[in-house]
Amino acid sequence: MGRSSSSRTPTFRRLAALGLAALALIGCTGFQMSGPQSTLLTEGPVARMQTGLFYITLWVTVFIFITVGGVLAYAQLKFRAKPGDDDTPPEQSHGHPLVEMGLIVASTLLLVIIAIPTVKGIAFQEDTPDRENALVVKVTGYQWWFKFEYPELGIVTANEMVIPTDRPVHIELRTIDVIHSFWVPRLAGKKDLIPNRANHMWLQADQPGYYWAQCAEYCGESHANMKFRVVSLDPTDFAAWSQRQLADARTVAAPVAATTGLDAADMPRFQLASAKPAGTEGASYAESPFAHWQMMQAEPTAGSEDAALIARGHQLFQQKSCGACHTVRGHGSMGNIGPDLTHFGARTTLAAAVLDNTSENLHRWLIDPNGVKPGNIMWKQGYVGYNIQLTSADVDALVAYLHSLK
Amino acid sequence: MDSALHHGAAAPASAITLLPRPRAKTGLLGWLTTVDHKKIGILYAISAVFFLLVGGLEALLIRLQLMVPNGTVLNAETYNQMFTMHGTTMVFLAVMPLSAAFFNYLTPLMIGARDVAFPRMNAFSFWTFFAGAVLLNLSWLPMLAPEGYTGIGQAPAVGWFGYANHTSTTYTPGLGTDFWIVGLQLLGVASVVASLNFIVTIINLRAPGMTMMRLPVFVWMTLVTSFLVILAFPAITIALVELMFDRSFGTNFFEVAKGGQPILWQHLFWVFGHPEVYILILPAMGIVSEILPTFSRKPLFGYPIIVFSGACIGFLGFAVWSHHMFTTGMGKVANTAFALATMTIAVPTGVKIFNWIGTLWKGKIQTRVPMVYALGFIWMFMMGGFTGIMHSAAPADAQQQDSYFVVAHFHYVLIGGSIFSLLAGLYYWLPKMSGRIASEGPGKLGFWTVFIGFNVAFFPMHFLGLNGMPRRIYTYDGNLDWNLWNFVSTCGALVLGLGIFGVVCHIVYSIFKGAPAGGDPWHGRTLEWSLPSPPPEHNFDTIPVVRARDVHWHDKHTSEPAPEHPTAQHEREHGVHMPDQSWYPALASFGLFILGSGMVFKPKFVAIFGHWSIVPILGACIVVMASWLWALESPGGYHVHPNGGGAGHGRGGKHH
Repeated sequence: MGRSSSSRTPTFRRLAALGLAALALIGCTGFQMSGPQSTLLTEGPVARMQTGLFYITLWVTVFIFITVGGVLAYAQLKFRAKPGDDDTPPEQSHGHPLVEMGLIVASTLLLVIIAIPTVKGIAFQEDTPDRENALVVKVTGYQWWFKFEYPELGIVTANEMVIPTDRPVHIELRTIDVIHSFWVPRLAGKKDLIPNRANHMWLQADQPGYYWAQCAEYCGESHANMKFRVVSLDPTDFAAWSQRQLADARTVAAPVAATTGLDAADMPRFQLASAKPAGTEGASYAESPFAHWQMMQAEPTAGSEDAALIARGHQLFQQKSCGACHTVRGHGSMGNIGPDLTHFGARTTLAAAVLDNTSENLHRWLIDPNGVKPGNIMWKQGYVGYNIQLTSADVDALVAYLHSLK
Repeated sequence: MDSALHHGAAAPASAITLLPRPRAKTGLLGWLTTVDHKKIGILYAISAVFFLLVGGLEALLIRLQLMVPNGTVLNAETYNQMFTMHGTTMVFLAVMPLSAAFFNYLTPLMIGARDVAFPRMNAFSFWTFFAGAVLLNLSWLPMLAPEGYTGIGQAPAVGWFGYANHTSTTYTPGLGTDFWIVGLQLLGVASVVASLNFIVTIINLRAPGMTMMRLPVFVWMTLVTSFLVILAFPAITIALVELMFDRSFGTNFFEVAKGGQPILWQHLFWVFGHPEVYILILPAMGIVSEILPTFSRKPLFGYPIIVFSGACIGFLGFAVWSHHMFTTGMGKVANTAFALATMTIAVPTGVKIFNWIGTLWKGKIQTRVPMVYALGFIWMFMMGGFTGIMHSAAPADAQQQDSYFVVAHFHYVLIGGSIFSLLAGLYYWLPKMSGRIASEGPGKLGFWTVFIGFNVAFFPMHFLGLNGMPRRIYTYDGNLDWNLWNFVSTCGALVLGLGIFGVVCHIVYSIFKGAPAGGDPWHGRTLEWSLPSPPPEHNFDTIPVVRARDVHWHDKHTSEPAPEHPTAQHEREHGVHMPDQSWYPALASFGLFILGSGMVFKPKFVAIFGHWSIVPILGACIVVMASWLWALESPGGYHVHPNGGGAGHGRGGKHH
C-alpha cells in the first residue's frame, strides 16, 4: 500500500514475464503427462470417454477462470486505493439483485454443459457392451497382489492380466481381505474391490499393447507395492496364450545335481536390509515392454538351461513348502494363498509388478521379500512363521526353477 | 448476559463447593479454570497453531520421502502413520480449532454479548479438545512400539478416513487404531458441545436490534457451521462406536467373516466427512466476508445472497457425501444423483465468489496484510472449486479418485481456502486480541512466501494425478514420468513450510512487540471494533443497541446518538455481573481423558489391574462426579464496575 501502481509497472512486467516463462516451461513439460500410467494418453473406449469428459470440464472451468478471474484481476487493480485519495469512503452500495440472479442462471447453464455428458458417461461405463460376447475376468485383490481368473477359459494367473483386443472385457471385482482398487489408467478409471460386495466394470484395449496399472485404494503397509500389468493381444495371439496357460507347468527333465551348495543348517540366518533399492527402472531390457513380454512367452532354446539346477530348484520348492501357498500345476504344488506360479517364467514382472522378472531381481525377492515389499505374507507367515531358511545357492536353484516355468 | 444478573440473586444457599471457585485471573490456574470466551479463544488459537506446525512437519517428512523415486527418508509403515496423522491433525487439531478460536473470541463481541451462553461448557469444550489432541499424539511415544514393529510408537496407520475393514483387529492389531478411534471421539464431543453453545449464544444473546439479517456474515457462518457439526458428528460418533465395539467386544458391524459390511463405514464416514469439508471452509468464507468489506471500505455486496448461499451450502453439504464413493460401485442411479447434486453445490459457492468481487467493485481497496491474504483466498479457493467441479463429473472422477489430482484439489481448498483465510483472520483480529498490530513488510513477505511455496508444492500435483500417480504410496519407481514434478512439489513444500513458520514467528513477535493498535485500526464495520484492544473482561460497558448492519460503521457515520440499552442504568449502579471461574469443566475433560486412555490401553491395563475395565470406569466416575458437582456449584459470579462507580469488585453469590 502507499505506492502507486504505475511506479510498480516495471517490476510487475518483469514478474509477469517470469510467470509466462514458467507457464511455458510447464506447458512444454508438464502437460505431456506421457507416463505409462497417464490418464490422458488413452488406449481404450472407457478411458477415452472419461478423459473426453475431463477435457469438457477443463475447458468449461478455464472459461470461467478467464472471465471471473479477469474481472477479479481488473477489480483488484482498478479499485485499489490511490495515494492522495481523499478520505471519503466510496459509495456504500449493497448489491444488485439482477446481476446476481443473472450470474446464478449463467453458472447453472455452464454446469448443464458438464452434466449432460456426465450422465451419458455414467451409463456408458456402467454397462458392459455386448455382454454375451464379452470376456469375463474375475479379479481378486490380496494384500498385496491381484489374482486373475478366466472362468470361461479355466485359466488362473496373477499380476499380469492378458486380454484380447476384439471384444470388451467384463471384470468382476472381489477381495479376499481389505479394500483395493483396480486401476489401469490408460484403459479405464478405477473401481474398488470391497469385501462382501460384488463389483464389476468393463474395459477394452484398442490395440495390442502393454499397460502399467496399480492399486488405488490404501490397503495397508505395502499399498505402494501392489501393482500389476495388463497385456492386450490380437485374437489369434490371445488364443495361443490361452492354450499355453491351460497347459500344466513345463518340466525340464534332468537328474538332481549331486552337490548344490551348503545345507541350510550350516548357514546363519539372513540378516536382511529393509531398505528398498531401485525398482523397475525399465533398464533391465532393451526392447519395448510389449516386445519383451512376447519374448518372455517363448520357451528357452534347448541347452540354454541348467537342467540339474532347475531340478534342484523344483526339489527345494517342495522341501521348503512353497507349495503350501503357491500352485504349480502338474508339479504337485496346489497352494492357493499366494499367486499361481504355473507359468511364472512367462511374466515380465514379479512380486506384484514391483520388480522386473530378471534372475537378479528374483534372487533379491527370494532372499529379502520384506525388503522388497514390507509386511508381505510370504515373509511374515512363510519365512518367519515356518522358519524357512534359504542359502544363496538355494535361491539360485529356485530362480532357475521358477524361470523355467514358461 | 443480562439474564445473568438475576442468577446471582437466585443462587441456592445449599450450593456444594467441594472445590472453591478459583479466583486467579493469570498464571496456569487462571488459564486452566477460565470461563472467559476470549481466553478460551486464545487457548484454542495457541493449540491450533501448535498443531498446525506439527501437522506441517509431518507433511514435510511425507514430501521429503517422495522427493525422489525410491526415497529412503521413511519406511512404509512410518510413511503410512505420517499421512494418517497429518490428515487427522490438520483437520481436527489445526483448522477446526483455529476456526473455533475465532468463533469463541469473536461471536460474543460481534453480537454485543458479554460471553457465550454457557461459559463453563465452553471451557469444557476446549479442555476436551485438548484431551483428545494429547491422547491422539501420545501414540507417537517410541516406547509404545511392539517388538519388530517398523513404525514409530503406535501411531495409527489407517488414514484419516480409517476405512473398514482395514481397521479391524485382523489387519491393524496394534493400539494405533484405538488411539485414532478414541482421539476422534473426544474431539467429536468437544466440537458438538461447543457448537450447541454457539447456536444458543447466537440465537439468544444478540444485543437489541441485532436481528438475524444484521448479523455479521462471520457469525452467520459460525451458526451454519455449528449446525453442520451437531448434525454431522453423530454419524462418525456412531461409526466409531461400532468400530470400537468390533475391536473390543466382538461385534460384527464391519467384520467381513461374520457378514459385516465395510461399505457401511464409508457411508457413515462421508455423511460426516463431507459436511466436515464445509465445517472447514464456511468459517473461512465468513472471515473473508468480514475482511473484504473493511478493506474495500464498502458493505458486502449482496449480503442476503451470501448468507443464503452459505446456508444453502450447509444443506446441500449433506446431500453429496457419496461423491467420495463414485468408484465403490454404487450403480448408475446413485452415481448420477450424487454427481448432479455435487454440481448443484457449485452454484451457491460460485455466487459467493461473484459477491466478493462485487464487494471489491468500485471500492477503495487497501492492500493491508489481512486483505492480501483474503484476495489470495479468493484466487486459490476458485482454483480448488474448479477441480471440485471436475470431480463432480463421476466418470472423469474415476480417473482422478485417490490420485494426486485429488490431493491437489483439496489442498487448494484447505490451504488456499481455509488456511489462507484463517491467516487473514489472525492478522486482521490480532490487534483486537493483543492490542498490537503486525507490521506490513514482514507480513507481506510472509504472504508471498506462503503463496509461492503453496502453488509450487500443489499445482504440480494436478500433473502427477493426471499422470497416474495414486495417493498414499510411500514409494514410486523412476520410470513413471513422475520424478520432475515430485521434486518440484517437495521444493515448494519446503518454501511453504518456511513461509508458515515465518508467519507464525511474525505473529508471535507482533503480539509482544508490535505497534500499539488502538481500538479500531482498520476502520472496521462490526461491533468488536467499537471496543478497546484487547477488550475488557466484560466486553461491553453497556450492551449496545444495534441500528444497522455494519453497526460500527453506521455509528461512526451518524450524528444521531444511539439509544441506551434498558439495563444500562441498572449496571451503572450495581455493576456488570460476571461468571465465576470453575474447576469442573477441566476436571470433567480430564475424566474423559482417563476414560479414553483406558479404552486405548486395554491390554496394558489388563496386565496391571487384572481387568481392562478398571481405568475406563475410573475415568467415567471422574466425569460423572465433575459434572454433578458442576451442576450443583452455585452460579456465583461477581460484579465489575466499568465506569469506576460503585464499590469496586463485588464477589460471590450473596450480593444484592
